[in-house]
Amino acid sequence: MITLSYKGKNTFLEAVNEKSGSDVLECYQCGKCVSTCPVSNFMDFPPREIMQMIKLELKEECQMANSTWFCLTCSACSGRCPREINIPAVMEAVRHMAIEENFHPDSKQVKNIRKFHEIFLDMIRRYGRNYELRMMAEFNIRTRNLFKDMHLAPKALLKGKIPLGVKSMKSAKAIKKMYEMADKLEQQSK
Amino acid sequence: MKKVTYFPGCSAHGTSEEFDQTVKMVMKTLDVEMEEIPDWNCCGATSAHTMNESLAYALPLRNLVLAEKLSNDTMTVPCASCYQRMKFTKIHMDENPELARKINTAVVGEGQYQGRVAVKSMLQYCYEDVGIEAIKTKVTSPISGMKIACYYGCLLTRPKAITQFDSPEYPMSMDRIVEALGAKAMPFDFKTECCGASFSISDTDVVLQLSGKILEMAKESGAHAIVVACPLCQSNLDMRQPDIEKKFKVRYDLPIFYLTQLMAMAFGYPKDKMMFSKHIVPVDGALAHIGEVIEEPKKTAKGKKAVKAESEVE
Repeated sequence: MITLSYKGKNTFLEAVNEKSGSDVLECYQCGKCVSTCPVSNFMDFPPREIMQMIKLELKEECQMANSTWFCLTCSACSGRCPREINIPAVMEAVRHMAIEENFHPDSKQVKNIRKFHEIFLDMIRRYGRNYELRMMAEFNIRTRNLFKDMHLAPKALLKGKIPLGVKSMKSAKAIKKMYEMADKLEQQSK
Repeated sequence: MKKVTYFPGCSAHGTSEEFDQTVKMVMKTLDVEMEEIPDWNCCGATSAHTMNESLAYALPLRNLVLAEKLSNDTMTVPCASCYQRMKFTKIHMDENPELARKINTAVVGEGQYQGRVAVKSMLQYCYEDVGIEAIKTKVTSPISGMKIACYYGCLLTRPKAITQFDSPEYPMSMDRIVEALGAKAMPFDFKTECCGASFSISDTDVVLQLSGKILEMAKESGAHAIVVACPLCQSNLDMRQPDIEKKFKVRYDLPIFYLTQLMAMAFGYPKDKMMFSKHIVPVDGALAHIGEVIEEPKKTAKGKKAVKAESEVE
Protein backbone atom coordinates (compact mmCIF):
# COMPACT_ATOMS: atom_id res chain seq x y z
CA MET A 1 0.00 0.00 0.00
CA ILE A 2 1.21 3.44 -0.82
CA THR A 3 1.05 6.03 1.94
CA LEU A 4 0.93 9.76 1.55
CA SER A 5 3.22 10.51 4.46
CA TYR A 6 6.96 10.54 3.87
CA LYS A 7 9.71 10.96 6.46
CA GLY A 8 7.50 12.67 9.01
CA LYS A 9 5.91 14.93 6.42
CA ASN A 10 2.16 14.70 6.48
CA THR A 11 1.56 15.26 2.84
CA PHE A 12 3.17 14.31 -0.45
CA LEU A 13 3.25 18.00 -1.38
CA GLU A 14 5.21 18.91 1.76
CA ALA A 15 7.67 16.08 1.18
CA VAL A 16 8.27 17.04 -2.46
CA ASN A 17 8.70 20.69 -1.50
CA GLU A 18 11.24 19.87 1.16
CA LYS A 19 13.19 17.46 -1.01
CA SER A 20 13.25 19.72 -4.07
CA GLY A 21 13.71 23.03 -2.28
CA SER A 22 10.91 24.47 -4.42
CA ASP A 23 7.30 25.35 -3.68
CA VAL A 24 5.00 23.45 -6.02
CA LEU A 25 2.04 25.49 -4.73
CA GLU A 26 3.50 28.45 -6.61
CA CYS A 27 2.55 26.78 -9.90
CA TYR A 28 -0.39 28.56 -11.56
CA GLN A 29 -0.71 26.08 -14.41
CA CYS A 30 0.36 28.33 -17.28
CA GLY A 31 1.81 25.38 -19.20
CA LYS A 32 5.01 27.10 -20.30
CA CYS A 33 6.95 24.08 -19.07
CA VAL A 34 4.95 21.76 -21.33
CA SER A 35 5.57 23.77 -24.46
CA THR A 36 9.26 24.09 -23.57
CA CYS A 37 9.91 20.49 -22.56
CA PRO A 38 11.58 18.55 -25.42
CA VAL A 39 10.20 15.23 -24.17
CA SER A 40 6.72 16.18 -22.95
CA ASN A 41 5.21 14.25 -25.85
CA PHE A 42 6.82 11.06 -24.51
CA MET A 43 5.46 11.56 -20.99
CA ASP A 44 2.30 10.04 -19.52
CA PHE A 45 1.69 13.41 -17.86
CA PRO A 46 3.62 16.53 -18.92
CA PRO A 47 5.29 18.63 -16.19
CA ARG A 48 2.29 20.94 -15.70
CA GLU A 49 0.04 18.00 -14.91
CA ILE A 50 2.61 16.47 -12.57
CA MET A 51 2.69 19.78 -10.68
CA GLN A 52 -1.10 19.73 -10.32
CA MET A 53 -1.09 16.05 -9.32
CA ILE A 54 1.39 16.82 -6.53
CA LYS A 55 -0.93 19.55 -5.26
CA LEU A 56 -3.80 17.06 -5.36
CA GLU A 57 -1.76 14.50 -3.39
CA LEU A 58 -1.87 11.97 -6.23
CA LYS A 59 1.33 10.33 -5.05
CA GLU A 60 0.85 6.92 -6.57
CA GLU A 61 -0.15 8.36 -9.94
CA CYS A 62 2.95 10.56 -9.96
CA GLN A 63 5.25 7.72 -9.03
CA MET A 64 3.77 5.29 -11.52
CA ALA A 65 3.92 7.77 -14.40
CA ASN A 66 6.91 7.60 -16.73
CA SER A 67 7.27 11.41 -16.62
CA THR A 68 9.96 11.68 -13.98
CA TRP A 69 12.02 9.03 -15.78
CA PHE A 70 11.80 10.86 -19.08
CA CYS A 71 12.90 14.19 -17.60
CA LEU A 72 16.31 14.96 -19.15
CA THR A 73 17.15 17.58 -16.49
CA CYS A 74 17.83 19.99 -19.37
CA SER A 75 16.31 22.80 -17.24
CA ALA A 76 14.60 24.45 -20.19
CA CYS A 77 11.33 24.48 -18.22
CA SER A 78 12.70 26.02 -15.04
CA GLY A 79 14.51 28.68 -17.05
CA ARG A 80 11.19 29.84 -18.44
CA CYS A 81 8.92 29.16 -15.44
CA PRO A 82 7.33 32.48 -14.47
CA ARG A 83 6.97 31.18 -10.88
CA GLU A 84 10.65 30.16 -10.81
CA ILE A 85 9.89 26.62 -9.71
CA ASN A 86 12.84 24.24 -10.05
CA ILE A 87 10.82 21.71 -12.05
CA PRO A 88 13.69 19.25 -12.70
CA ALA A 89 14.36 19.17 -8.95
CA VAL A 90 10.68 18.44 -8.34
CA MET A 91 10.77 15.63 -10.91
CA GLU A 92 13.90 14.28 -9.28
CA ALA A 93 12.34 14.43 -5.80
CA VAL A 94 9.35 12.38 -6.98
CA ARG A 95 11.65 9.89 -8.73
CA HIS A 96 13.95 9.48 -5.72
CA MET A 97 10.94 8.86 -3.46
CA ALA A 98 9.65 6.27 -5.93
CA ILE A 99 13.05 4.53 -5.98
CA GLU A 100 13.23 4.49 -2.17
CA GLU A 101 9.71 3.12 -1.85
CA ASN A 102 10.11 0.74 -4.77
CA PHE A 103 7.33 2.09 -6.92
CA HIS A 104 8.10 1.96 -10.60
CA PRO A 105 6.12 2.23 -13.76
CA ASP A 106 6.07 -1.10 -15.52
CA SER A 107 6.64 0.05 -19.09
CA LYS A 108 9.50 -1.35 -21.11
CA GLN A 109 10.82 2.13 -21.83
CA VAL A 110 11.18 3.02 -18.17
CA LYS A 111 12.70 -0.36 -17.41
CA ASN A 112 15.29 0.28 -20.12
CA ILE A 113 16.07 3.76 -18.85
CA ARG A 114 16.51 2.40 -15.33
CA LYS A 115 18.63 -0.48 -16.52
CA PHE A 116 20.87 1.89 -18.44
CA HIS A 117 21.50 3.99 -15.33
CA GLU A 118 22.19 0.89 -13.25
CA ILE A 119 24.69 -0.44 -15.77
CA PHE A 120 26.38 2.96 -16.06
CA LEU A 121 26.77 3.18 -12.28
CA ASP A 122 28.03 -0.37 -12.23
CA MET A 123 30.80 0.57 -14.70
CA ILE A 124 31.89 3.40 -12.39
CA ARG A 125 31.80 1.08 -9.38
CA ARG A 126 34.04 -1.38 -11.18
CA TYR A 127 36.45 0.88 -13.03
CA GLY A 128 36.00 4.31 -11.44
CA ARG A 129 35.34 5.55 -14.97
CA ASN A 130 32.92 4.70 -17.72
CA TYR A 131 33.79 1.78 -19.99
CA GLU A 132 31.65 2.80 -22.95
CA LEU A 133 31.83 -0.31 -25.12
CA ARG A 134 31.20 -2.66 -22.24
CA MET A 135 28.33 -0.52 -21.04
CA MET A 136 26.66 -0.73 -24.46
CA ALA A 137 27.24 -4.48 -24.67
CA GLU A 138 25.83 -5.10 -21.20
CA PHE A 139 22.83 -2.97 -21.99
CA ASN A 140 22.09 -5.08 -25.06
CA ILE A 141 22.53 -8.29 -23.11
CA ARG A 142 20.45 -7.24 -20.13
CA THR A 143 17.62 -5.84 -22.24
CA ARG A 144 17.73 -8.96 -24.47
CA ASN A 145 18.21 -6.87 -27.58
CA LEU A 146 21.55 -8.14 -28.83
CA PHE A 147 21.49 -6.44 -32.19
CA LYS A 148 20.66 -2.93 -31.01
CA ASP A 149 23.02 -0.44 -32.68
CA MET A 150 24.98 -3.28 -34.27
CA HIS A 151 24.79 -1.45 -37.60
CA LEU A 152 26.92 1.30 -36.02
CA ALA A 153 29.52 -1.09 -34.68
CA PRO A 154 31.71 -1.66 -37.76
CA LYS A 155 32.13 2.06 -38.48
CA ALA A 156 32.37 3.17 -34.86
CA LEU A 157 34.91 0.50 -33.94
CA LEU A 158 37.01 0.74 -37.10
CA LYS A 159 37.24 4.51 -36.85
CA GLY A 160 38.20 4.19 -33.19
CA LYS A 161 35.15 6.25 -32.22
CA ILE A 162 34.50 3.80 -29.42
CA PRO A 163 37.73 2.32 -28.03
CA LEU A 164 37.83 -1.34 -27.05
CA GLY A 165 39.22 -0.86 -23.56
CA VAL A 166 39.09 1.51 -20.62
CA LYS A 167 41.87 3.35 -18.78
CA SER A 168 40.66 2.50 -15.30
CA MET A 169 41.70 4.39 -12.20
CA LYS A 170 44.53 3.49 -9.87
CA SER A 171 42.34 3.91 -6.82
CA ALA A 172 39.29 2.11 -8.21
CA LYS A 173 39.02 0.47 -4.78
CA ALA A 174 38.35 3.85 -3.19
CA ILE A 175 35.38 4.30 -5.52
CA LYS A 176 33.98 0.88 -4.54
CA LYS A 177 34.23 1.97 -0.93
CA MET A 178 32.47 5.23 -1.76
CA TYR A 179 29.59 3.27 -3.27
CA GLU A 180 29.17 1.26 -0.08
CA MET A 181 29.28 4.37 2.06
CA ALA A 182 26.86 6.27 -0.20
CA ASP A 183 24.41 3.37 -0.02
CA LYS A 184 24.70 3.39 3.76
CA LEU A 185 24.02 7.11 3.83
CA GLU A 186 20.96 6.68 1.59
CA GLN A 187 19.67 3.93 3.89
CA GLN A 188 20.17 6.13 6.94
CA SER A 189 18.29 9.05 5.44
CA LYS A 190 15.27 6.86 4.70
CA MET B 1 51.75 31.85 -18.55
CA LYS B 2 48.44 30.85 -17.01
CA LYS B 3 47.99 27.59 -15.15
CA VAL B 4 44.75 25.69 -14.79
CA THR B 5 43.58 22.39 -13.35
CA TYR B 6 42.21 19.99 -15.94
CA PHE B 7 39.45 17.42 -15.53
CA PRO B 8 39.24 15.44 -18.80
CA GLY B 9 36.23 13.20 -17.99
CA CYS B 10 35.65 9.60 -19.08
CA SER B 11 34.72 10.30 -22.67
CA ALA B 12 38.09 12.00 -23.20
CA HIS B 13 39.52 8.48 -23.16
CA GLY B 14 36.68 7.17 -25.31
CA THR B 15 34.26 8.73 -27.75
CA SER B 16 35.72 12.23 -27.47
CA GLU B 17 39.44 11.58 -27.62
CA GLU B 18 39.68 14.20 -30.37
CA PHE B 19 38.20 16.81 -28.00
CA ASP B 20 40.82 16.01 -25.36
CA GLN B 21 43.69 16.11 -27.87
CA THR B 22 42.64 19.39 -29.45
CA VAL B 23 41.96 21.03 -26.07
CA LYS B 24 45.57 20.25 -25.14
CA MET B 25 46.87 21.67 -28.44
CA VAL B 26 44.76 24.82 -28.22
CA MET B 27 45.70 25.51 -24.60
CA LYS B 28 49.37 25.15 -25.42
CA THR B 29 49.06 27.77 -28.15
CA LEU B 30 47.13 30.05 -25.80
CA ASP B 31 49.95 29.79 -23.24
CA VAL B 32 47.89 27.95 -20.67
CA GLU B 33 49.51 25.11 -18.80
CA MET B 34 47.07 22.36 -17.84
CA GLU B 35 47.55 20.18 -14.81
CA GLU B 36 45.40 17.05 -14.81
CA ILE B 37 43.77 15.99 -11.53
CA PRO B 38 45.72 12.90 -10.48
CA ASP B 39 43.62 9.74 -10.61
CA TRP B 40 40.32 11.55 -11.12
CA ASN B 41 37.07 9.57 -11.18
CA CYS B 42 33.84 9.71 -13.17
CA CYS B 43 31.49 12.56 -12.21
CA GLY B 44 28.55 10.16 -12.10
CA ALA B 45 26.85 11.90 -15.02
CA THR B 46 23.08 11.65 -15.39
CA SER B 47 22.89 8.18 -13.91
CA ALA B 48 24.14 9.06 -10.43
CA HIS B 49 21.74 11.93 -9.85
CA THR B 50 18.88 9.94 -11.34
CA MET B 51 19.34 7.01 -8.98
CA ASN B 52 21.28 7.97 -5.87
CA GLU B 53 21.55 11.43 -4.35
CA SER B 54 24.49 10.76 -2.03
CA LEU B 55 26.53 9.23 -4.81
CA ALA B 56 25.64 12.13 -7.12
CA TYR B 57 27.29 14.50 -4.62
CA ALA B 58 30.13 12.20 -3.59
CA LEU B 59 31.61 11.37 -7.00
CA PRO B 60 32.18 15.00 -8.12
CA LEU B 61 33.14 16.01 -4.58
CA ARG B 62 36.10 13.63 -4.60
CA ASN B 63 37.41 15.39 -7.73
CA LEU B 64 36.81 18.81 -6.21
CA VAL B 65 38.77 17.85 -3.09
CA LEU B 66 41.61 16.42 -5.20
CA ALA B 67 41.63 19.62 -7.28
CA GLU B 68 42.19 21.65 -4.13
CA LYS B 69 45.38 19.75 -3.47
CA LEU B 70 46.84 21.33 -6.62
CA SER B 71 47.88 24.98 -6.40
CA ASN B 72 45.64 26.37 -9.20
CA ASP B 73 42.54 28.36 -8.38
CA THR B 74 40.50 27.36 -11.43
CA MET B 75 39.52 23.99 -12.85
CA THR B 76 38.42 23.63 -16.45
CA VAL B 77 36.24 20.83 -17.78
CA PRO B 78 35.68 20.14 -21.49
CA CYS B 79 32.64 17.86 -21.15
CA ALA B 80 29.39 19.77 -20.53
CA SER B 81 27.93 17.01 -18.40
CA CYS B 82 31.00 16.67 -16.15
CA TYR B 83 31.08 20.46 -15.89
CA GLN B 84 27.44 20.59 -14.84
CA ARG B 85 27.86 17.89 -12.16
CA MET B 86 31.02 19.52 -10.76
CA LYS B 87 29.56 23.01 -10.69
CA PHE B 88 26.26 21.73 -9.28
CA THR B 89 28.07 19.95 -6.48
CA LYS B 90 30.37 22.90 -5.83
CA ILE B 91 27.47 25.34 -5.51
CA HIS B 92 25.45 23.04 -3.26
CA MET B 93 28.47 22.26 -1.08
CA ASP B 94 29.44 25.95 -0.80
CA GLU B 95 25.89 26.88 0.15
CA ASN B 96 25.56 24.07 2.64
CA PRO B 97 28.86 23.37 4.48
CA GLU B 98 27.04 20.99 6.80
CA LEU B 99 26.08 18.75 3.88
CA ALA B 100 29.61 19.04 2.47
CA ARG B 101 31.07 17.84 5.75
CA LYS B 102 28.58 15.00 5.96
CA ILE B 103 29.17 13.70 2.44
CA ASN B 104 32.90 14.23 2.75
CA THR B 105 33.40 12.36 6.00
CA ALA B 106 30.76 9.69 5.39
CA VAL B 107 31.57 8.92 1.77
CA VAL B 108 34.59 10.56 0.17
CA GLY B 109 37.30 10.56 2.82
CA GLU B 110 39.96 12.41 0.82
CA GLY B 111 40.39 15.39 3.15
CA GLN B 112 38.58 18.62 3.90
CA TYR B 113 36.58 20.42 1.21
CA GLN B 114 37.24 24.17 1.23
CA GLY B 115 35.46 25.40 -1.88
CA ARG B 116 38.61 27.14 -3.04
CA VAL B 117 38.68 26.14 -6.72
CA ALA B 118 36.43 27.75 -9.35
CA VAL B 119 34.86 25.38 -11.89
CA LYS B 120 34.60 26.53 -15.50
CA SER B 121 33.68 24.81 -18.72
CA MET B 122 36.32 24.86 -21.44
CA LEU B 123 34.14 27.32 -23.38
CA GLN B 124 33.81 29.61 -20.38
CA TYR B 125 37.55 29.46 -19.68
CA CYS B 126 38.42 30.35 -23.26
CA TYR B 127 35.87 33.16 -23.33
CA GLU B 128 36.43 34.71 -19.90
CA ASP B 129 39.97 33.87 -18.82
CA VAL B 130 41.77 33.74 -22.16
CA GLY B 131 39.56 36.22 -24.00
CA ILE B 132 38.56 36.83 -27.60
CA GLU B 133 41.45 39.23 -28.27
CA ALA B 134 44.08 36.71 -27.14
CA ILE B 135 42.44 34.04 -29.31
CA LYS B 136 42.46 36.41 -32.30
CA THR B 137 46.19 37.07 -31.99
CA LYS B 138 46.94 33.34 -32.30
CA VAL B 139 44.94 32.81 -35.51
CA THR B 140 47.39 32.14 -38.33
CA SER B 141 45.16 30.39 -40.87
CA PRO B 142 41.64 31.75 -40.50
CA ILE B 143 38.77 29.45 -41.38
CA SER B 144 36.91 32.20 -43.24
CA GLY B 145 34.28 31.04 -45.67
CA MET B 146 32.84 28.45 -43.33
CA LYS B 147 29.31 29.02 -42.10
CA ILE B 148 28.79 27.53 -38.67
CA ALA B 149 25.84 26.83 -36.39
CA CYS B 150 27.02 26.99 -32.77
CA TYR B 151 25.22 24.42 -30.68
CA TYR B 152 25.62 24.75 -26.90
CA GLY B 153 23.20 22.09 -25.70
CA CYS B 154 21.43 22.26 -22.38
CA LEU B 155 24.19 22.01 -19.81
CA LEU B 156 26.76 24.67 -20.74
CA THR B 157 24.60 27.70 -19.98
CA ARG B 158 21.66 26.23 -18.04
CA PRO B 159 20.41 26.46 -15.34
CA LYS B 160 21.59 30.03 -14.90
CA ALA B 161 21.83 29.63 -11.10
CA ILE B 162 24.42 26.87 -11.58
CA THR B 163 26.41 27.90 -14.65
CA GLN B 164 26.38 31.68 -14.02
CA PHE B 165 27.63 32.10 -17.57
CA ASP B 166 26.22 33.53 -20.80
CA SER B 167 22.53 33.43 -21.71
CA PRO B 168 20.43 30.32 -21.04
CA GLU B 169 18.24 31.12 -24.06
CA TYR B 170 20.50 32.56 -26.73
CA PRO B 171 24.18 32.34 -25.74
CA MET B 172 26.80 34.04 -27.93
CA SER B 173 30.19 33.14 -26.40
CA MET B 174 30.90 30.27 -28.81
CA ASP B 175 29.66 32.36 -31.74
CA ARG B 176 32.15 35.09 -30.82
CA ILE B 177 35.02 32.60 -30.63
CA VAL B 178 34.07 31.08 -33.98
CA GLU B 179 33.97 34.55 -35.53
CA ALA B 180 37.37 35.32 -34.03
CA LEU B 181 38.63 32.31 -36.00
CA GLY B 182 37.33 33.93 -39.19
CA ALA B 183 34.23 31.80 -39.75
CA LYS B 184 30.69 33.09 -39.93
CA ALA B 185 28.42 32.12 -37.03
CA MET B 186 24.89 31.71 -38.36
CA PRO B 187 21.78 32.82 -36.49
CA PHE B 188 20.48 29.52 -35.10
CA ASP B 189 17.43 29.11 -32.90
CA PHE B 190 18.14 25.66 -31.49
CA LYS B 191 21.36 26.60 -29.70
CA THR B 192 20.26 25.36 -26.31
CA GLU B 193 17.71 22.68 -27.20
CA CYS B 194 18.45 19.25 -25.75
CA CYS B 195 19.91 16.54 -28.04
CA GLY B 196 18.42 13.70 -25.98
CA ALA B 197 21.64 13.05 -24.08
CA SER B 198 21.89 9.69 -22.34
CA PHE B 199 18.75 8.38 -24.05
CA SER B 200 21.11 7.64 -26.91
CA ILE B 201 21.33 4.11 -25.57
CA SER B 202 18.30 3.63 -23.34
CA ASP B 203 15.66 5.03 -25.72
CA THR B 204 17.27 5.84 -29.04
CA ASP B 205 14.01 7.03 -30.59
CA VAL B 206 14.01 10.08 -28.31
CA VAL B 207 17.47 11.06 -29.53
CA LEU B 208 16.58 10.56 -33.19
CA GLN B 209 13.67 12.97 -32.80
CA LEU B 210 15.41 15.58 -30.63
CA SER B 211 18.72 15.57 -32.50
CA GLY B 212 16.82 15.44 -35.80
CA LYS B 213 15.19 18.77 -35.04
CA ILE B 214 18.55 20.33 -34.19
CA LEU B 215 20.08 19.13 -37.47
CA GLU B 216 17.03 20.37 -39.38
CA MET B 217 17.28 23.85 -37.88
CA ALA B 218 21.05 24.00 -38.42
CA LYS B 219 20.60 23.06 -42.06
CA GLU B 220 17.91 25.70 -42.43
CA SER B 221 20.26 28.34 -41.01
CA GLY B 222 22.51 27.74 -44.00
CA ALA B 223 25.40 26.37 -41.95
CA HIS B 224 28.00 24.04 -43.47
CA ALA B 225 28.68 22.44 -40.11
CA ILE B 226 27.71 22.43 -36.44
CA VAL B 227 30.21 23.18 -33.71
CA VAL B 228 29.76 21.80 -30.20
CA ALA B 229 31.57 21.72 -26.86
CA CYS B 230 30.09 18.52 -25.41
CA PRO B 231 31.00 14.89 -26.18
CA LEU B 232 27.44 13.63 -25.86
CA CYS B 233 26.06 16.30 -28.19
CA GLN B 234 28.80 15.40 -30.65
CA SER B 235 28.15 11.68 -30.64
CA ASN B 236 24.37 12.09 -30.79
CA LEU B 237 24.50 14.51 -33.71
CA ASP B 238 27.35 12.74 -35.52
CA MET B 239 27.02 9.02 -34.86
CA ARG B 240 23.21 9.05 -34.99
CA GLN B 241 23.02 11.31 -38.05
CA PRO B 242 22.80 8.47 -40.62
CA ASP B 243 19.95 6.91 -38.59
CA ILE B 244 18.17 10.26 -38.38
CA GLU B 245 18.53 10.77 -42.13
CA LYS B 246 17.14 7.30 -42.74
CA LYS B 247 14.25 7.65 -40.32
CA PHE B 248 13.03 11.01 -41.59
CA LYS B 249 14.11 10.44 -45.23
CA VAL B 250 16.24 13.58 -45.36
CA ARG B 251 19.85 14.41 -46.15
CA TYR B 252 21.79 16.76 -43.89
CA ASP B 253 25.44 15.88 -44.37
CA LEU B 254 26.42 18.20 -41.52
CA PRO B 255 29.78 17.40 -39.88
CA ILE B 256 29.89 18.01 -36.13
CA PHE B 257 33.11 19.67 -34.99
CA TYR B 258 34.37 20.28 -31.50
CA LEU B 259 35.07 23.97 -30.93
CA THR B 260 38.70 23.17 -30.16
CA GLN B 261 39.14 21.30 -33.44
CA LEU B 262 38.29 24.48 -35.34
CA MET B 263 40.46 26.57 -33.01
CA ALA B 264 43.40 24.24 -33.61
CA MET B 265 42.85 24.49 -37.38
CA ALA B 266 42.84 28.28 -37.23
CA PHE B 267 45.95 28.22 -35.03
CA GLY B 268 47.71 26.45 -37.88
CA TYR B 269 47.96 22.86 -36.63
CA PRO B 270 48.10 20.30 -39.45
CA LYS B 271 44.80 18.65 -40.37
CA ASP B 272 45.90 15.15 -39.44
CA LYS B 273 46.27 16.20 -35.78
CA MET B 274 42.52 16.85 -35.44
CA MET B 275 41.57 13.16 -35.61
CA PHE B 276 38.86 13.90 -38.20
CA SER B 277 39.04 10.22 -39.15
CA LYS B 278 36.98 9.48 -36.02
CA HIS B 279 34.01 11.43 -37.33
CA ILE B 280 31.15 9.42 -38.78
CA VAL B 281 29.92 12.27 -41.02
CA PRO B 282 32.86 13.21 -43.29
CA VAL B 283 34.26 16.70 -42.68
CA ASP B 284 35.90 17.42 -46.05
CA GLY B 285 32.83 18.96 -47.68
CA ALA B 286 32.55 21.58 -44.96
CA LEU B 287 36.30 22.26 -44.82
CA ALA B 288 36.33 22.85 -48.59
CA HIS B 289 34.45 26.11 -47.96
CA ILE B 290 37.51 27.60 -46.21
CA GLY B 291 38.76 30.53 -48.25
CA GLU B 292 35.43 31.21 -49.94
CA VAL B 293 34.12 34.75 -49.80
CA ILE B 294 30.74 34.97 -48.11
CA GLU B 295 28.60 37.60 -49.76
CA GLU B 296 26.67 39.59 -47.23
CA PRO B 297 23.07 40.23 -48.23
CA LYS B 298 22.58 43.91 -49.04
CA LYS B 299 21.22 45.67 -46.03
CA THR B 300 17.84 47.26 -46.62
CA ALA B 301 16.62 50.05 -44.38
CA LYS B 302 14.53 47.50 -42.55
CA GLY B 303 17.47 45.13 -42.17
CA LYS B 304 19.61 47.89 -40.67
CA LYS B 305 16.95 48.62 -38.15
CA ALA B 306 16.83 44.99 -37.13
CA VAL B 307 20.61 44.87 -36.72
CA LYS B 308 20.50 48.00 -34.60
CA ALA B 309 17.77 46.57 -32.42
CA GLU B 310 19.87 43.46 -31.83
CA SER B 311 22.93 45.44 -30.74
CA GLU B 312 20.81 47.53 -28.43
CA VAL B 313 19.63 44.40 -26.66
CA GLU B 314 23.21 43.52 -25.90
